[in-house]
Amino acid sequence: MTQDNHGKAHKYGMVIDLDKCTGCGSCMVACMSENNVPFKENETDKKDSITWMKVFKLTNGKPFPDIDTCYLPRPCMHCGGKGDHGHSPCISVCPATATDYGYDTGIVSQIYTRCFGCRYCMGACPYHARYFNWWDPKWPDGMEEYLSPDVSPRMRGVVEKCSFCYHRYQEARDRAYHEERRDHIEEGEYQTACTQACPAGAITFGDLNNPEHEVYKLVKPDPHNCGRPREPKAFRLLERLQTNPKVYYISEREWVRKAGDNYRKGEWGKEIKVSHGKGH
Amino acid sequence: MKIDRRSFLGLGLGAAAGVAASPVTWKLTDDLSIWTQNWPWTPVPRDGEVTYDDTVCSLCPGNCGISVRKIAGRAVKIEGRSGYPVNDGGVCLHGISALQYLYDPSRVQAPMVRKGDSWKTVTWEEAITLVAEKTKTLRESGKADAVACITDNNRGTISGLCKRFLMAVGSQNFYTMDTMDKSWEMLISKIHGLNASAGFDIANSDYVLSFGTGFIEGWGSPVSNFIANSSRKERHAKLVQVEYRLSSTAAAADQWIPAKPGTEADLALAICSVMINDNLYDKGCVKKFGKEFDVFAKLVTEKYAPELVTRTTGIDASKIRSIAADFAKAKAPLAIAGRGKGDSAGSLMEFAAVHALNCLSGNINKKGGFWTIAKDEPLTWPSLEMDDVATKGYAKATIGENSSVSKLFEAVNSSENGSPVEMLMVCNANPCYNLHNAKGVQEAVKKIPFVVNISSYMDDTANLADVILPAHMFLEMSQDLYTSSGTTQRVTSLSKPIASPIFDTKHPGEAVIMIAKALEGSIASSFPWETYDECLESVTGEMWSTLSEEGFIDSGSQASEVSAMDFSLFASFKGFTMPEGDKKNYPLTLVQVDHMRLASGTFASSPFAVKTVSDSILKDSDSLVEINPETADQVGVSDGDIAFIETPVGKARVKVNLFDGIMPGVIAMTEGLGHFAGDNHYIGGKGVNVNELIGPVTDPDSGLDAAWGIRARLSRA
Amino acid sequence: MDSALIPKGARRCPFPVFATGIAVVSVVLLWGVFAMVLCWLKGLNQTNMNDYYGFALWIWADLAVIAIGGGAFFTGLLKYVFGIDELKNIINLAVVIGFICYSSALLILAIDIGQPLRGWFIFWHANVHSMLTEVAFCLSLYFSVLTIEFIPLILENRQLDKVPFFHNLSHNMHGVMAVFAATGAFLSCFHQGSLGGVAGVLYGRPFAYREGLLVWPWTFFLFTWSAAAYGPCFTLTVCKMFEGITRKKLVKDNVIHLLAKISGWMITTYIIAKIIDTIYWAGVTAPEMGFSLMDFYSDNAFYGIWILFAEIVLGGIVPAVFLTVKRFRENKKLLLVAIILGTLGVCLNRWVMVLQVMAVPVMSFDTWALYIPSWQEVATTILPVAYGVILISLAYRYLPMFPQEQELYDSK
Repeated sequence: MTQDNHGKAHKYGMVIDLDKCTGCGSCMVACMSENNVPFKENETDKKDSITWMKVFKLTNGKPFPDIDTCYLPRPCMHCGGKGDHGHSPCISVCPATATDYGYDTGIVSQIYTRCFGCRYCMGACPYHARYFNWWDPKWPDGMEEYLSPDVSPRMRGVVEKCSFCYHRYQEARDRAYHEERRDHIEEGEYQTACTQACPAGAITFGDLNNPEHEVYKLVKPDPHNCGRPREPKAFRLLERLQTNPKVYYISEREWVRKAGDNYRKGEWGKEIKVSHGKGH
Repeated sequence: MKIDRRSFLGLGLGAAAGVAASPVTWKLTDDLSIWTQNWPWTPVPRDGEVTYDDTVCSLCPGNCGISVRKIAGRAVKIEGRSGYPVNDGGVCLHGISALQYLYDPSRVQAPMVRKGDSWKTVTWEEAITLVAEKTKTLRESGKADAVACITDNNRGTISGLCKRFLMAVGSQNFYTMDTMDKSWEMLISKIHGLNASAGFDIANSDYVLSFGTGFIEGWGSPVSNFIANSSRKERHAKLVQVEYRLSSTAAAADQWIPAKPGTEADLALAICSVMINDNLYDKGCVKKFGKEFDVFAKLVTEKYAPELVTRTTGIDASKIRSIAADFAKAKAPLAIAGRGKGDSAGSLMEFAAVHALNCLSGNINKKGGFWTIAKDEPLTWPSLEMDDVATKGYAKATIGENSSVSKLFEAVNSSENGSPVEMLMVCNANPCYNLHNAKGVQEAVKKIPFVVNISSYMDDTANLADVILPAHMFLEMSQDLYTSSGTTQRVTSLSKPIASPIFDTKHPGEAVIMIAKALEGSIASSFPWETYDECLESVTGEMWSTLSEEGFIDSGSQASEVSAMDFSLFASFKGFTMPEGDKKNYPLTLVQVDHMRLASGTFASSPFAVKTVSDSILKDSDSLVEINPETADQVGVSDGDIAFIETPVGKARVKVNLFDGIMPGVIAMTEGLGHFAGDNHYIGGKGVNVNELIGPVTDPDSGLDAAWGIRARLSRA
Repeated sequence: MDSALIPKGARRCPFPVFATGIAVVSVVLLWGVFAMVLCWLKGLNQTNMNDYYGFALWIWADLAVIAIGGGAFFTGLLKYVFGIDELKNIINLAVVIGFICYSSALLILAIDIGQPLRGWFIFWHANVHSMLTEVAFCLSLYFSVLTIEFIPLILENRQLDKVPFFHNLSHNMHGVMAVFAATGAFLSCFHQGSLGGVAGVLYGRPFAYREGLLVWPWTFFLFTWSAAAYGPCFTLTVCKMFEGITRKKLVKDNVIHLLAKISGWMITTYIIAKIIDTIYWAGVTAPEMGFSLMDFYSDNAFYGIWILFAEIVLGGIVPAVFLTVKRFRENKKLLLVAIILGTLGVCLNRWVMVLQVMAVPVMSFDTWALYIPSWQEVATTILPVAYGVILISLAYRYLPMFPQEQELYDSK
């Protein structure tokens, strides 16, 4: 039994402070650069543009000068699914087990060589975190030189998505084993590329099961309620769908927190029960 | 043959078993899927030992420390350098993308000479000889001063070598691109009589009043400002943004004051008037250093009372008063100016009005305030030899008035008998893109008989050059860098080559040395170094050992003591009138806006950066203009329409983007698009360069181009 | 020219006329094949699908052909299992249509996946939790069943039947057909259902998500039921088309009315269930996720509440009434209207359950995604239609597809 996570498995997650995010795009590019994400000549069709980390721009919908905007970075949410049992919306639908839940990390994987491109998972994901390789990835002559061997470039016809930089976890785990720390990975040893790059320090990454970790302190996930944040200024996207994401957001602005989910007229502000049922 | 049910079943099963047992089908099926998993056209990156090399990014004046991850010696990823004084691990998207600049196959790969409409690749020797011959001919015919040079800034050895070269040749015509730093320096020199640069201690200020700065959109040292902005939450520090558009900075601010464009100075002075009237200013400070404070006090209280300014700015008097009260009440208030990223000079009067707030608050050279940072020349150059020709040429005035680079091109364009500039050397700059009225600048460049461009990329200026001397990109070379914009911190750093040159390029400094050597005589002897590296080591003098060992010197904040505040000057500035164009024909105001994800300096954005740009800024190859729905209604355009935007300077096809965050009557267009990028279609030919629509406006107070917008009209295509 | 192949006594148009017709349709087929090859060689960038629209026209076509091909299993079930013997006069047609529909569905699936050469991973690396896995298994098994059901009919061709082996084979296969029909019906229940489950399990998509029974969402049952209900409508529509084109009566009215009546009652029960499902979903399921009904039908250029009305009233209640009421059913025109509306109704339901699911924004700050298919998608969707026309024409010309044809001709 390891001591670092109180005998429980890791549950890696992310907290993004939307009040600090400036929408600068560093996270997006750090991710693309870390994970060999390709690019095309025309990337302005945003529905066909692979961005594992995508920054949405939200507005409060009011006219000048009462309008307000907010940036919201969206990686893969690494959903725990209904009841937080690991049946995320995408995993349960993949017919070929090409995407899977790591019960030791909480990370939703994607096996590119197994995926045969049915795109069911994309339809299942309400966050649009999954991207299809409509094209063969192509790099201008010589630019393949910067490709990293840690993440294999994907072939045409398969789905890809944010992996919480899983290769970095593997590296940290390997080092820990090598140094005879078993799976005791220090908080700083495993950080995603976006977290590391964010110049505003808006992204925090760590083990949600470890009260010592910053992510835990920031949102205080409720273990009896599928990890719902107990911190009032924190929220998760589409909490009511019971997808149980591992990405949390923090904002002081009420309209931003409200935009995180759907509410019918008059519902906002009232206690809304989300059953967090057992799931299938 | 009679078939009964049994034999039928037997036959069927037998056949099925036969096919199933045959390995061919199964093997083939399996092989095919394995083939799809290893398509030869999908690259397989080589593995190897992982190492990290530290250097400093010079894509923008921020100069962040970066760490390059290498695998088996090949650079694969750029990360921020932890513990580096400027950025401490954070890094902007352009810096991360630097490897796309490095490996870009559309870089200028070898020296090239224009032959009519096409390019001819030549050897370095041939190219250098050609440039040297041309210089020599001009010198021999007494036109040494017809040689001009433009660099992006005037810090460090590269621009130092250029400037030195020009002096040795005999020309004063050395220009740098105008930035807000120039205006701030000019202002400090006028108000405080100091040779100092401006420093803003944003990270420690508890109330930042920003007049249109893109404080978190690339202003000053971008990453350093991101860090300062984030820490506001914990420090409970306020940010108030005065801007006619809900920029990212305005959205992040605690308060957004949408003053009409061009009235920022009025608003600042109105706040001054409240502070003076209500005795909210630092009397001790004003008494000690202030000169002719009464004149200023009288002016602002009479002419800039909040009630009067309400009309011009559109901001309620009560709001102006409350800002004044908050600003005065703050422990460490700070007023800052410099539109967008601050890479245009801006109005000196506006800067002065804003700085008057700092002077009234007395928060100068104090924690969280405005700093006047001593400007010492860090480099020690050996003495320069100037022959007769050089001395004679150098005595002549610059072609562009006030050393303004815009004026230089205006002079070329307005000259009737040939270009007064006969040879233009451009080093690490892209005036054909970055200067206002870019099309006009391009015309001027075409008119100049001989243009040498020291550049890594086939950009808008290189495209019009006669000779291109291909430069290393920053990851391939050493260079001394000086972080100075925006912050109070002064960091001198040494960037180091982390990759060997990929193409037949040379260090830009080395190219200059080579030309000088080819010219022989006094010019050659003024450049006694064999290589650029030798020059760098020698001119950095005492700094060298620390720089080469530690990589940087953090000199912290060293203020030049302020001993005077000439308030009379605040009132003496003329300011400049609104952007050119008449209101009747051009009912709207077009403003250029800066966006963090689009580089607006010398370099075009990388493919990665372009990919991150929203489709409300760029869609296919159309730039979008932001317009308030109300204004769009009046103009008769709706969201997504293709329209033409026309200004007195130019016309362009754009797409309409309705945005409630832009003030009615104003149209915003993002800077950083419409680049020419040779064969690089990932970044070139996308959208419109807003600089082609906006003409330069000379600020009578500084002589620099201070345009930030222009009158315009929009019509549906 | 080909008279030796034509069933004895059957009257068929002259071969050149037939060949010309087939040639015309073959051009369309080749166009589709060309588009298909483009998709295989160049990849799915040939389509207008995108990351918001991963499931689009093709998946709709798949679901639609399988729904309207449902006549095969349901008629088979009625005839072989429930022993409604009159239906033997239309079962051949139902089987051929079923065969065409299911082979088309498999073909479209083979084009629709990004890595067709790895398509078999769905069996090899099967994830039992996935509705699509269930679809794949049931679909391919049922297709084998359909093939087995189709073979005896082929063997009844005049020339083939002369070969004693084929004659006996055909005879024996007929003997065991009840077993296959029962298997087919069983499999069909599951694959039709699992196709419904494909959308219904998407708990990240409030427009599609339905609660249900055990592991199956309500759409699972609704899809099976609707395929059984509407499948015969399409069988009847095709039958009527044949009769129209050949200007011959091919199936006796009592058979047609019987199938129409069964279909009518099935649609009635289905549409009641569908209405209850819609009310529960609109009143309970969606609101729990923060959505009101009209959120799914407003703020966009296409999907208005009209589509729900069209599906339930025009495609459900109207055909249900027309087919259950004897007077209407036996009115030729109303019958035709009813079976066509029924066919369109079930196709519209499948459209809504695929394309509208993808179009509705889920995150509050997301936008509606509308999509227009590329010509390659349209061509590959028409490809199976052309293929179906050719195959069914060949079957009609050379096989005794309509057992009552001779009798009806003689009685004329």
